[in-house]
Amino acid sequence: MEVYTKNIKWIPALLLAILFVSACGKTGEFKVMDAWARPAASGDNGAVYFIVSNATDTDDRLLSVSTDVASAAEVHMSMMDSNGVMSMQMQEAVPIPAQQEIIFKPGGLHVMLIGLSQDLKIGDTISLTLNFGAAGSITVQAPVEEQ
Amino acid sequence: MIKKNSSTPLYVATAVIALALLMGFAFRRPYAFRGATINPPLPVPDFSLVTANGQSFRLSDQKGKIVLLFFGYTSCPDVCPITLGTFKQVYDRLGANAQKVRFVMMTADPDRDTPDKVAAYAARFNPEFIGLSGSREKLEGVWQELGVFVEKQDSGSAAGYLVSHTASVYVLDQNGRLLMTWPYGTSAIDMANDITQILKQSEQE
Repeated sequence: MEVYTKNIKWIPALLLAILFVSACGKTGEFKVMDAWARPAASGDNGAVYFIVSNATDTDDRLLSVSTDVASAAEVHMSMMDSNGVMSMQMQEAVPIPAQQEIIFKPGGLHVMLIGLSQDLKIGDTISLTLNFGAAGSITVQAPVEEQ
Repeated sequence: MIKKNSSTPLYVATAVIALALLMGFAFRRPYAFRGATINPPLPVPDFSLVTANGQSFRLSDQKGKIVLLFFGYTSCPDVCPITLGTFKQVYDRLGANAQKVRFVMMTADPDRDTPDKVAAYAARFNPEFIGLSGSREKLEGVWQELGVFVEKQDSGSAAGYLVSHTASVYVLDQNGRLLMTWPYGTSAIDMANDITQILKQSEQE
């Protein structure tokens, strides 16, 4: 019991230390991470997911997306209402606020690839350029994966 | 003296564990389905639609199999592949029992999805998955019976219109009765457990 109470005193300090270290590590960086694409067939539509991490002090926006593997690329959001009806909504621009991470993930925000010009097979990698208002253009490589 | 003291916690721990096990046994609850069950199960009127190569698929021909019905469309890049991906995991989890289940995707977009197109789309996830289409009139009949919402949506997208649709999976028992629905996002583990339970119950009957 004594040992237990002794340890508990250190928890707030430890949490603070973790927060401090994690905050320091990323300051200033704007990056796109963990990109992946879903397998799909040529002629069909595909989806790409990633995380945009904005650790800068500037609010940003994702304005457009381009790729060579499809005739168009758009940002969409899947949304479900209380009746279980799923809809997709095209997004004009996605806000990427300062000091925040915006996660593009299955069943939520995603880049929709329209009219694929090639099969996306597991093991392939596609290139995707994301155009941000402040950070400019960032090209990412997205492996085709099943997740 | 010392020996006695040090072994006391062991007795206490043993007693506590034994008690917990006993209580767990005494208060063991019956299996609770993860899906939203329909009580009593609702008989679904028979329907006949078209799958690959013009072959017909009639619900009453599936008697003896559990039928998992999902409504989607092949232009959908996000939600529909997610559900079919989950089906694929369910199929793998079920092992030999997967043969007692029909995995079906029925189009919510008959104007663009031909039977061959839906069939090929579903088969890309597993060759045994079934894709169905047919006339809008026939499909609307099924949607109405099951309370499936489908609506075209002008989106301004280069993909043309999008389709809003109920994303739940409809679970029909071996006699073609609607037993439950799984909301979008139900895990493969939960689906597989529910199916195993349905099979178990039908063996007992």
